[in-house]
Amino acid sequence: MQITGRAGVSEFRERIRYMAVVVVLGLTVLALRMFKLQILDGDKYRREAEENILRMIYIPSTRGVIRDVRGRVIAANRPAYNVYVVPRWFMRRMDEVFPKFAEYLGLTRDERDRLEARIRGVDGRKRDQYILVRGDIDRETLAILDTHKDELPGVSVIAAPLRTYPFGTLAAHAVGYINEVSAEDLQQRPGEDYRAGDRIGRMGIERAWESILRGRRGWVRVDRDHRGLILSSREDIQRFGADRRQDPVPGRDLVLTLDMELMRATERAFSQRAYPSGAAAVVEVRTGRVLALYSRPALDPNEMTIGVSLQRLRELSDSRGLRPLVDRAIYEMYPPGSTFKPMTAIAALNAGIIDPSEQIRCVGYITRGNRRFRCAHGHIHGLVNLQSALIQSCNVYFFTAGEAARMNRIHRSAMDFGFGRRTGIGINSEAAGFIPTEEWYNRVWGSFRRGYTLNTAIGQQNTRTTVLQLALAYAALANGGTLYVPQLIERVVSPDGTTLQEFPRTVRRRIDASDTHLALIDRALRGVVADPRGTAHLVDMPEVSLAGKTGTAQVSRTLREGEDRRLAADHAWFAGFAPAENPEIAVVVLVEHGGSGGSEAAPVAAQIVRDYFMRVRPGTPIESVARANTRTQRERERQLREWRARQRRRHH
Amino acid sequence: MAIERGIREQFDWGLFVVVCIIATIGVVNLYSATSSLAGVRGELYVQQIYWLALGSGVAVIVAAIDYKYYERYAYVGYIASIFALIAVFVLGKSIRGTHRWIQIGSFQFQPSDFVKITTAIAVAKRLSMDSHVEKWTLRDLLAPGALLAVPVLLVLAQPDLGTAMIVALVSLGVLALAKIERRTFWILLISGVLGSVFMWNFGLKAYQKDRLTSFMDADKHKLDSAYQAVQSVIAIGSGSVFGQGFMKGTQNQRHFIPDPFTDFPLAVWAQEWGLVGSLLLLACYLFLILWALNIASTAKDRFGSAVAVSCASLFFWHVIFNVGMVSQMLPVVGVTLPMFSYGGSSVLTMMIAVGLLMNVSMRRSTL
Repeated sequence: MQITGRAGVSEFRERIRYMAVVVVLGLTVLALRMFKLQILDGDKYRREAEENILRMIYIPSTRGVIRDVRGRVIAANRPAYNVYVVPRWFMRRMDEVFPKFAEYLGLTRDERDRLEARIRGVDGRKRDQYILVRGDIDRETLAILDTHKDELPGVSVIAAPLRTYPFGTLAAHAVGYINEVSAEDLQQRPGEDYRAGDRIGRMGIERAWESILRGRRGWVRVDRDHRGLILSSREDIQRFGADRRQDPVPGRDLVLTLDMELMRATERAFSQRAYPSGAAAVVEVRTGRVLALYSRPALDPNEMTIGVSLQRLRELSDSRGLRPLVDRAIYEMYPPGSTFKPMTAIAALNAGIIDPSEQIRCVGYITRGNRRFRCAHGHIHGLVNLQSALIQSCNVYFFTAGEAARMNRIHRSAMDFGFGRRTGIGINSEAAGFIPTEEWYNRVWGSFRRGYTLNTAIGQQNTRTTVLQLALAYAALANGGTLYVPQLIERVVSPDGTTLQEFPRTVRRRIDASDTHLALIDRALRGVVADPRGTAHLVDMPEVSLAGKTGTAQVSRTLREGEDRRLAADHAWFAGFAPAENPEIAVVVLVEHGGSGGSEAAPVAAQIVRDYFMRVRPGTPIESVARANTRTQRERERQLREWRARQRRRHH
Repeated sequence: MAIERGIREQFDWGLFVVVCIIATIGVVNLYSATSSLAGVRGELYVQQIYWLALGSGVAVIVAAIDYKYYERYAYVGYIASIFALIAVFVLGKSIRGTHRWIQIGSFQFQPSDFVKITTAIAVAKRLSMDSHVEKWTLRDLLAPGALLAVPVLLVLAQPDLGTAMIVALVSLGVLALAKIERRTFWILLISGVLGSVFMWNFGLKAYQKDRLTSFMDADKHKLDSAYQAVQSVIAIGSGSVFGQGFMKGTQNQRHFIPDPFTDFPLAVWAQEWGLVGSLLLLACYLFLILWALNIASTAKDRFGSAVAVSCASLFFWHVIFNVGMVSQMLPVVGVTLPMFSYGGSSVLTMMIAVGLLMNVSMRRSTL
């Protein structure tokens, strides 16, 4: 046995030597691995270990304030307190903590159940993150939560600036709103340093001027443990010095050209007549500065900023409703109707096709092919020249003039006035509008017919403009032919109040029209209001001399079952300027489905203009204030009623 | 015969010293690892001292009894440990769906730890009994294979993949002493590969596969299954040359290392003592294992030699798997670092192995 055993061991020895080699190799591999981790990659892991125990605390920058032309605050920030829950800590003693928490927050039974379900439903990986439970709590709740904070593990109240819009819905489309960045934003904007929870401009100026308003976030790096609990005190943060801290850079302020007092007057003018939807624009004739840009109905940016539910959002954008999210001043397009006639006139005058003094006879219609093209409401104007045709809005005259000028000349003239292209206001994906050409009809409708020219001449059918485009075109008519780029931002101001950048007026183009022709048109436009035959004569007022043109945009819409009959009514337009002799502002009013421009849109425009000169700019000498007039407001309204009654009788 | 020549002369000082060094730095490290913990867990290093003391006692007893008795009762011990493994399913506490522990009083122990040794000894006995000179064929391997398969399957059923693998590898280390016919070797290798593929596709549960593969794609699994390994590697790597200093390892002090006592104490050690510390520890293990192999090659008989090899194999595989998983070269399978990791059954098992080595060492031939 012994011998066999001995022989066995010696037989094993060679094996054991191999094993020793394997052991040395195996442990060498481990040692090399250690060498790689600790020496070769040591720096990388040291950094990672440091990242582990450091936490970036971001210090939000303050978003720039938006003010109107007189320094009234339109968008500002105020401190708000938001309640967050970290589910991982909160859920440890949820049964005990949650009822108290709900009580302190003053939740209803229903809210409570929903919140509980939400917290429990947070999936594994997100359980260490802060979940917003309630935004902008009031002081009282804040005090309660602060008193009981020791009973509420995993609950934190974090102060954050909240964007507020003191004017609410007023100018909401132009100013816009902000809300939290979405996952898509984060993906689509790499390198712009957006982080979950940041706010971003969503509409209007807030969106277009995001980079100016936003500023840059600051940060501090603090010590933490594996749960993210911050271990170091404030003193530590200061001790860490520059590489651990970067101060935030506040956003820059904007001063707009908008005058909120005028916006209010515009709102008043629409509200008094209870029009549910429409739009208006007021532009400074000699600068292109936009004083008012109004779209009705409007969203409430305060509501949008806090965040609306999906259901509410659906409600807001439901196509059967009034769609308050749509900016009717620059995004929506409408046929300009008769407000387009001055452009047709310029086209014909430029071509030398019509003689302004030459009269033609209006019999209420002209016939082309087997179709009759009529004047509105069956009017028969008799002998009219350019001026009286504009004053009375005689379609027959402009059918004749437009037909003679031909489609493409009208197109060119309209483009010259800035139609069919974006004005360049730079917000809210502005619509370009559309002015058709013969080629377009050939291409899209198969063939061009003369009748199309007649419809285009009076701004119907496929002609599309925006409210702002029309305002700028009328400003050009009023200022002797200069088309401006609309200006909404007056200047950029640093938080300490110094002006960083000022924006001068920008000329877009000189319009191809002689002074004589423009003067002729302007006189006629004054006649629309001043002349007793004028379509807007009923808004003639003693305080300010208003000039302009009424328009009615045909709505060709077949009503669906149960739809409001109003929706098939035509849109009412008024486009004009004041004071007529020395124009300062151009104003355009659109009343959606308002019907007649003269009776519906013109009074709104007149009130805006009157308010502008009498209230918004008190003390400004108005050369054109007419003699005192004894007609009172009440009498004006009586006249309006009679006028409407006359219109109805004429119809039947 | 050898023991009579006096304990002082025969006592294996090399083995004793290296085990003392490892155990001591293990306790020191455990002190640091638990220093930021409150309550009972903060006192774990004291318990570890108790375990080591108990283990030393057991080792002395194991060393004192002549190993020929172990040879004689090898199968008895083997069968007893198999029963203990079965008992786990009957009496055992189910912890997170696994049956690994038996509770006796306040003492929990894990029979699968001891099975590593009893199986290896049983295989060692089979090996030493067989004295034929020809190379081993498949049929010769049948009996030791069966000895191996029973405990491995039982441990797999607990389920405890890591321990099952160690049980198998430790005993295969012993079997490697045998001269195996080339054809048999290839058959075994191929069937081993096929078996692994089969196991992968049918035997393993999704979470097991996930744990086995996530270390290869750590960034993707940073927050779930690879979290431990990722944090462990950060700890090791950030130790650099000289480490961050005793009780100053941030990964441990701030609790980023999930299990700094049983599976990941090396990460704590490596961050606080750097490459110097980790190489020192690896050197200790290298010395210990080579020392054990030396004992094996100078043992007075085949059984003694095979027992010493099984101990070397036990240490070797534990070191390879623990360091491998802690440094993210191997999946996290829950294998302890001998005498260094905290844990009752682990410490006892390792100390039994030390006792066995001492036993064989003291009864060496005097050639």
